[in-house]
Amino acid sequence: MKFVPTPLSPAELELQRDVRRFIAEELPADHQPGLGMGSGFDPAFSKKLAARGWVGMAVPKEFGGHARTAVDRFIVTEELLAVGAPLGAHFVADRQTAPAIVKFGSDWQREFFIPKIVAGECWFSLGMSEPDSGSDLSSVRSAARQVEGGWLLNGTKIWTSGAHRTHYFAVLCRTSPAEDKHQGLSQLIVDLRSDGVEIRPIPFLNGAHGFNEVHMSDVFVPDEMMLGEEGSGWRQVTSELAYERSGPDRFLSTFGLVKYLIAERAADGLTVEQQRAVGQLAARYWTIRQMSLSIARAIDDGGAPAVEASLVKDIGTRFEQRVIDVVRDVVEVQLRADSSSTFERLLAEAVLTGPSFTLRGGTTEVLRSIVAKGLRNV
Amino acid sequence: MSENVQEIRSALRPILADHSSPDEVVAAESAGWNSTLWSVLCEGGFATISVPEQYDGSGGSIADACAVLHELGRSASSVPFAEHALLAGWLLAIGKRSLPDGVLTVIDDPTELQVARTGDAFTVTGTARHVPWASVSAAILAILDIDDQSTAVLLPTEELQLDEQVNLAQEQRRTVVLHNVVVPAKNTWPVPADTAEQLRLRGALSRAALMAGALERATELTVRYTAEREQFGRPIGRFQAVERHVVRLAEAAQQAVMAVAVAGINAHEEIDFFDAASAKIVVGECASTGTAAAHQAHGAIGMTKEYELGQLSRRLWSWRDEYGDEREWARKLGARVSDAGAEALWPRIATG
Repeated sequence: MKFVPTPLSPAELELQRDVRRFIAEELPADHQPGLGMGSGFDPAFSKKLAARGWVGMAVPKEFGGHARTAVDRFIVTEELLAVGAPLGAHFVADRQTAPAIVKFGSDWQREFFIPKIVAGECWFSLGMSEPDSGSDLSSVRSAARQVEGGWLLNGTKIWTSGAHRTHYFAVLCRTSPAEDKHQGLSQLIVDLRSDGVEIRPIPFLNGAHGFNEVHMSDVFVPDEMMLGEEGSGWRQVTSELAYERSGPDRFLSTFGLVKYLIAERAADGLTVEQQRAVGQLAARYWTIRQMSLSIARAIDDGGAPAVEASLVKDIGTRFEQRVIDVVRDVVEVQLRADSSSTFERLLAEAVLTGPSFTLRGGTTEVLRSIVAKGLRNV
Repeated sequence: MSENVQEIRSALRPILADHSSPDEVVAAESAGWNSTLWSVLCEGGFATISVPEQYDGSGGSIADACAVLHELGRSASSVPFAEHALLAGWLLAIGKRSLPDGVLTVIDDPTELQVARTGDAFTVTGTARHVPWASVSAAILAILDIDDQSTAVLLPTEELQLDEQVNLAQEQRRTVVLHNVVVPAKNTWPVPADTAEQLRLRGALSRAALMAGALERATELTVRYTAEREQFGRPIGRFQAVERHVVRLAEAAQQAVMAVAVAGINAHEEIDFFDAASAKIVVGECASTGTAAAHQAHGAIGMTKEYELGQLSRRLWSWRDEYGDEREWARKLGARVSDAGAEALWPRIATG
């Protein structure tokens, strides 16, 4: 396991300045900062970002992308997350689906999807978890059988964030029976408006509509929507998870708590306990960001830091939760569902949604077993 | 990691294996330091890394000094490198002075020292506590305010009264009492006003670097032990409950190493307050979570004096307090960060 500290180059620092300028000019005036990935769904904002070339950044030029690096994408993403900008519409397509299509997709899929994703106009959800398959993903029961010109897909996906608003999701499903359950799985790209797709909301703990249950009964999926080789779904999904795991979205979700604690309380002077909390958390943000950044750099250098990514996700997501406890410990406030204080609103939202940080994208326990295996194999 | 840092590490590793083995660590504890190892480090030119060559040092950067400290921390070595080179050597270089003979150390907290002018000389009286390696040092350096001018003072050790205090790892941390010790003007020199703060930042970074090395080594020991030790018919590392401790320790060590590496890379002439404070905070916290996890995974064997883990953890528990513990630095950093305002926080974090 290795993390190499990596300073930003002058060009990367210029990009950082550009993003800050963009945020100052383009973030809607009435913007209410949110918590990381859950910070809002704003198609207009996604399109503005895309117009600057900041969606699908790392996609090669030949496929309609901007051929920027993973570090460049990291820089744009962290700046946006730090201000709680609304990234919800394009986030999954940008982080995960576009790289998967570039890597595994057909020429037709690249031509069809990538330009739309890069324009910020084509949004994806994830199609992995099922009612009976969460951490043990290879046990999915959704299955597709071959028919004339395509596949007939049946099954149920759950915890499908944003499916009521996005256009597609890539469904992990069984396309052939196999002794080894990691074999015979494939990924089908499914249009969420297809006949036979039914999307039912699952209200989140705080009442918000983010989650869905997606039922698929005899959904026809044309052949050209098979992502990658038939039967190689497991390999594709696990490689996708590496992209999903280590980015700034895994440590910045609750950054607003610290920022607005200072913004709203520092004028009266922070207490010693509050100062200590701010110092402790600032130091940890600085360190974890460097670890996360070093993974983006390693990916650009051709590495496949899967174990490192799992380690950083475990550190980062547990830290996001610790921020809530540390901050709550130094303010005496009775939380309400609505508050005119941005700090109190974000703290309430963090308390309600915080437990999900160490669940989404691989639970703490799954990550630790990946890291432990990596440590043993040194 | 620069090539220098790599070279320093690989050159030191076998030397330390020879002269700071767990047996030698135990042997050094009765003396409060490892004199044999120090001689070897002096002969090899390692003892003055980061002190400019024109002042009789070996040259090199703060990051290079951190590489030395990392290796010393890994091997639980009790030698005065941080004080001698990174602190005293640097203070001497500010005054364009070469390294004198013998071990040098510094006073971290001079608040109980009073200085008076007597003709061309100065008289220093008072007490300094927790002075590392004082009993083996030829001279002790302190930064004192003389007529509102920050001034470095070189104190000869023969006139000082020392006790036998040690830290939790039996390393010399003496209380030094000065009764009208006369310092000739030639042994004082003016330093910039922020030198006392820079000294403390360097001291804090030195302890962070030692701790990062110790945590890295504690991780290796724990991974190995939990793979070899069998209970209930299988290696204990295969139990998820034990696996959790190993992973938490590895996470603590990796964060510690990263924090020190970044602070070291960023440090040139000056050490940035945010960097060094952050490194001491994060590494101090990681020392706490890391040692707890390492001991829990090891069981009783880790609680013995001879076993390497205990040698590392006693140092981690000492070093995390020295040059300011993580709570003190967090309070100070938090005060500065909040004074700078909410909008300045993210840009500082993202500065690297």
